[in-house]
Amino acid sequence: MAAPLVATKLYAPRLRPGSVRRPRLSGRLAPREETRLVLVSAPAGFGKSTLLAEWLAEATAVGRRIAFLSLDHTDADPRAFWSHVVAALQRGAGVGETMAAALEAGDPPDEDLLAILLNILAGVPGGVDIVLDDYHVIDRAEIHAGLAFLLEGLPEGSRLVISTRADPPLQLPRLRARGELVEVRAADLRFDPAEAADYLNGTMGLRLTAGNVADLDDRTEGWIAALQLAALTLRGRADADDFIATFTGNDRYVFDYLVEEVLQRQPPELRRFLLRTSILDRLGGPVCDAVLGTSGSAAVLDGLHRGNLFLMPLDDRRQWYRYHHLFAEVLQAHLREEAPGDVTELHRRAAAFFETQGETESAIRHALAGSEFDRAAALIARSIPELRRSRQEALLRDWLKALPDAVVRANPVLGVGLVGALLSNGEFDGIDGRLADAERALAQVTAHGVASDAQLDEVPTQIWMYRAAMAQVRGDMPAMMAAATRAAEGSAPGDHLGRAAAAGLLGIACWTGGDLERAAASWNDCFLGLAATGHVSDALGSSVALAEIAVTRGRLGEAFRAIERALRLAATRPGLAPRGTADLHATLAGLHRERGDFAAAREHLATSRQLGDRAGLGPYRCRLGVAMAGVAEGEGDLATALDLLVDAERAYVGDFFPNVRPVAAMAARLRIAAGRLDEAARWRRESGVGIEDETASLREYEHLTLARLLLAEQRAARSGRGSAELVEFLGRLERAAERGGRGGSLIDIALLKALAHGLRNESGAAMASLERALALAEPEGFVRLFADLGAPMAELLGNALRRGVAPAYVRELLAAFAPVRTAARPETGEQPAEPLSERELDVLRLLRTELDGPAIARELEVSLNTMRTHTKKIFEKLGVNNRRSAVRRAEELNLLQRRPR
Amino acid sequence: MSDTPNKRTDQHGPGTYEVRIAGHLGQRWAERFGVPSLAHDDDGTTVIRRVFADQAALHGLLQTVRDLGLPLVSVTRIGIEQQT
Repeated sequence: MAAPLVATKLYAPRLRPGSVRRPRLSGRLAPREETRLVLVSAPAGFGKSTLLAEWLAEATAVGRRIAFLSLDHTDADPRAFWSHVVAALQRGAGVGETMAAALEAGDPPDEDLLAILLNILAGVPGGVDIVLDDYHVIDRAEIHAGLAFLLEGLPEGSRLVISTRADPPLQLPRLRARGELVEVRAADLRFDPAEAADYLNGTMGLRLTAGNVADLDDRTEGWIAALQLAALTLRGRADADDFIATFTGNDRYVFDYLVEEVLQRQPPELRRFLLRTSILDRLGGPVCDAVLGTSGSAAVLDGLHRGNLFLMPLDDRRQWYRYHHLFAEVLQAHLREEAPGDVTELHRRAAAFFETQGETESAIRHALAGSEFDRAAALIARSIPELRRSRQEALLRDWLKALPDAVVRANPVLGVGLVGALLSNGEFDGIDGRLADAERALAQVTAHGVASDAQLDEVPTQIWMYRAAMAQVRGDMPAMMAAATRAAEGSAPGDHLGRAAAAGLLGIACWTGGDLERAAASWNDCFLGLAATGHVSDALGSSVALAEIAVTRGRLGEAFRAIERALRLAATRPGLAPRGTADLHATLAGLHRERGDFAAAREHLATSRQLGDRAGLGPYRCRLGVAMAGVAEGEGDLATALDLLVDAERAYVGDFFPNVRPVAAMAARLRIAAGRLDEAARWRRESGVGIEDETASLREYEHLTLARLLLAEQRAARSGRGSAELVEFLGRLERAAERGGRGGSLIDIALLKALAHGLRNESGAAMASLERALALAEPEGFVRLFADLGAPMAELLGNALRRGVAPAYVRELLAAFAPVRTAARPETGEQPAEPLSERELDVLRLLRTELDGPAIARELEVSLNTMRTHTKKIFEKLGVNNRRSAVRRAEELNLLQRRPR
Repeated sequence: MSDTPNKRTDQHGPGTYEVRIAGHLGQRWAERFGVPSLAHDDDGTTVIRRVFADQAALHGLLQTVRDLGLPLVSVTRIGIEQQT
C-alpha cells in the first residue's frame, strides 16, 4: 500500500542549476581509505541536503554505488527502517533481494540478519555508500544499535553517510580518534562572506554592496535557508538598503521574519495556496486540488519550483514535491494564526483524497490530524490484517492510541486489535477489561460500517484466543483449555489465521494436560492454517511440536513426516531459509539418531549448524545442543555429550511449549549411563522427584529418569532392596501412559520393567515385558530406546535372541550397542578446512570477550583494517558469517583451549 | 521553589520549566509550543514557560526547538508539581 511513498523516499536530491558550488565541502565527502562514517550534522536549513546533492552528482558521475534513503516518520519501526535501507541498496547497488524477502516474510532485523547484509555488502566491488538523510527522525534504540553493528562490520570501501540535525549515538568520539569519521558541521556549512556574496550577487543577481552582504551574512549567521529567503524577498526590490537595515536592526526569529516578508510579496491566491497546502507531507497536483477545492495546482507547483520557493522534487517526473521542512513549519504557523478554523477541514480533505488513492497510511494520519475519528477508525480496522501479517503491531498501537479510547472500546475490531498489539508488546494491564468491552460492543454492533462482516466474524475467536493467552500467562491451564476450545470451535470458516492461532493454543493446552491425541490434531490444524496464510516460520515451529508429540506417542514415522512436510514448506520460500529451518534439521537429526542412523543424524546437524542462529527459532540453541549431545553419546563420547547438555540447559528459553523433556533430566540419564550415580542422585534431590509421586504426563520423562537411577543403584548395591517398589512404580507409570496414549513412553516403561524383573531374577516376567516392547517398537524402527540402556539391556536382548524372539530386529538392535565408529567425524568438519594462524587464534580469543572491534585492534596493537582482515579470514576458515557463530564454532572445535596465554 | 524537603517528589513527573531561545519569536508560535503566549526579553531572547507532564513532553518541545533551527539558550526547572 505504501509503494509510491517508498519510491519518493529513495529519490536522491538533485542539485539545482545555478547553485553555489562548494568544492571545499563536497570534496570532503569523497571516499578515503579509512573512512567508515560521514556525518553531516547541522540544524535545519544549513544546506545539508544541498551538499549531499552536490556530492551525489560528483560521486555518481565517477560510478560510485550509492544507496540513498530519505528518512521520515514511517521509519520509526525497525522492520520498516531496514526494509527501506534494503530497498535503497536494491535500487542503488542491485543487491539485497534475499534480505528483502526475509524481512517481508517476518524475520526480525536482528544482528544475525544484519550479518548477512554485511556479507552482501562485502560482495559489492568497490563498495557502496549508504546515505541516510534526516537521521534525526530516528529515536528507537534498536535502530541505533543495529546501525552501530552495521558500522562496526562495514567491509572496506563501503561507508555510511548520515545527515542529521542531532548527532546519532554511534560512538563518534572513538571513530573520530581513529580517523574513521569525516564530519561536516554547522560551522563548515554556513556561507562565509565570499560564498554569501557569490550567492547573493552571482546566483541571485542582486548587486548588493559588500557592506550589505556582510550585514546579511552577519544577521543570518551564514544560515543558508535564511540567506535564500532574504535573496527572494530582495529580488526586484528597490529599497534593498532599507530592508536590510530593518532586518538587521531587530531581534525577530530570522526565518519567521523572512518568510513573512516573502509571503507579503506574493499574490493573495499563491499565498493562500502556500498556507493551505503546508499541512501536506507530500505535494502533488491532484492532492493540492483536493485540499484547496480548486484545479490547476500542478501548474502552481511547477511555478513554485521554478521560482525557487523552497519546494523540492521527490521524483524525476515532477509528480511529487515537498516543502523545505523549515518553510513548511513557518507556513503552518501562519495558517494556524490566520485561519485556525480551516486546519481541520484541510486535513479531512487530504484524508478523503488519500483514501480514494488507496494510500491508507497517509489517509489515516490526516484523518487523525483532522479529528475525523470515524474515518480513521474504519481505515485502521481495515488495515489490521495486513499490519498483523507484516508484524507492525507497534504502528497499530500508535494509531489506536491516537484515537479516543471510547472510540476504540466501542468498536470490537479495534478493541481486539489493540489487545493483540498490547500483548505482542508484553503489556498485560487492562486486557481483560478491553476484551469484555469488545464482547459487549460486538453484541451491540449493527451494520453501520465499523468494519467488514468478515472481520466482525473473526472477533469472537480472537476474544477467546486472547483470553486463552491471558490464562496461560496466569498459569491457569483449565481456563486456558476452555478458552482455547471456545476459540477453535467458534472460528469462522474462512479465518485461517484465527483458526490456526486458536488451534495452536489448544495444542499447547492439550499437550500440557496430557491429551496427546487432541494435541496432535490441534497442532496439525495449526500448521495447515499457518501454512495457508504464509506464516512459514510459525508453521515450522508447530511442526517441531508435532514431531515431539509423535515421538512420545511412539509414532516415529509420523514424526519424520511432520518434519519433512515442514521442510517442503520452507523450501517454497525464496531467498534466505526461513526461521525454524535450523530447528527442523536439529529435530530430524534426533529422529535419525533414534533409528540408529548416525550418518544421517550428523548430516542434518551439519546442515542445521550451517543455517545457524539466523534460521533458528527462540529455543533453537537448546534444541541443537540436545541433538548434538545425542550424537556424541552414541559415539561413546559421554564427556562431550554432558558438556553439550550443560550448555543446552543454559540456552533453554521458556517458550509456549511445555517443558516435557527437561535438559537436566537428560543429563542425569547420561550420568547414570556413565555410572556417575552420585551426580545423578544430586539431580534427584534438586528436581524433587520421588517414587511416591502422582503420575503426570508433564513429569513422565523425569519419572522414567528416576526409574533408571533406581535400577542402576540397585544393580550397584547388588541387592533386591526397593525393587518391588520400583516394579510397582513402573506399573503405575505404564497404566498412566496407556490412558494417555503415549506409546513411545510405553516402550520405554516396558524396557525398564524388563530390567527390573531381571534384577529380581524373574526371567519370565522380564522376557514378557521385553517382548511387549519389541512388538511396539519394531514397526516404528526404534533403536536407541534399547541401546541407550546399555549392557544389561544387551544381555536381555541376547536372551531373547536365543529364544528366537523377533530375531532380525533383535540382531539389528544388538548391533547398535557398540559405540558408533567415529570415522565419520571429519565430514561434519570437526577440523577447520584450513588451520588458523597463531595471530588468528589471538583474534579469535578476543572475539570471545565483550570487547568490540576497535578495542580488540588496540589490544593486539594492529590497525582496525588489519584486525578486520583477520576476522574475515577466521570467518572464512570456520565457515561462519558472524562473530557469535565464529566463537561457538571455535568452541566446538576446541580451538580456544589449546594455547592459553 | 515548590520542592518540600520531606516529601518525595517525582523527578520524572510533571514539572514547570522555562525554556529560553535566542531571537524574538512571534506570537503565532505560541500554539506550536503549547503556551497561551510567548514572553520576549530585552536581551533578544524568548521565554517559553510551561508545565510539562513528564520528561518526554519536555524533550518533545526541545525537538521542536531543534526542528525550527532555533538556538537554545537555557532550560531551567522552576518547580516540581506535586502528584495528586
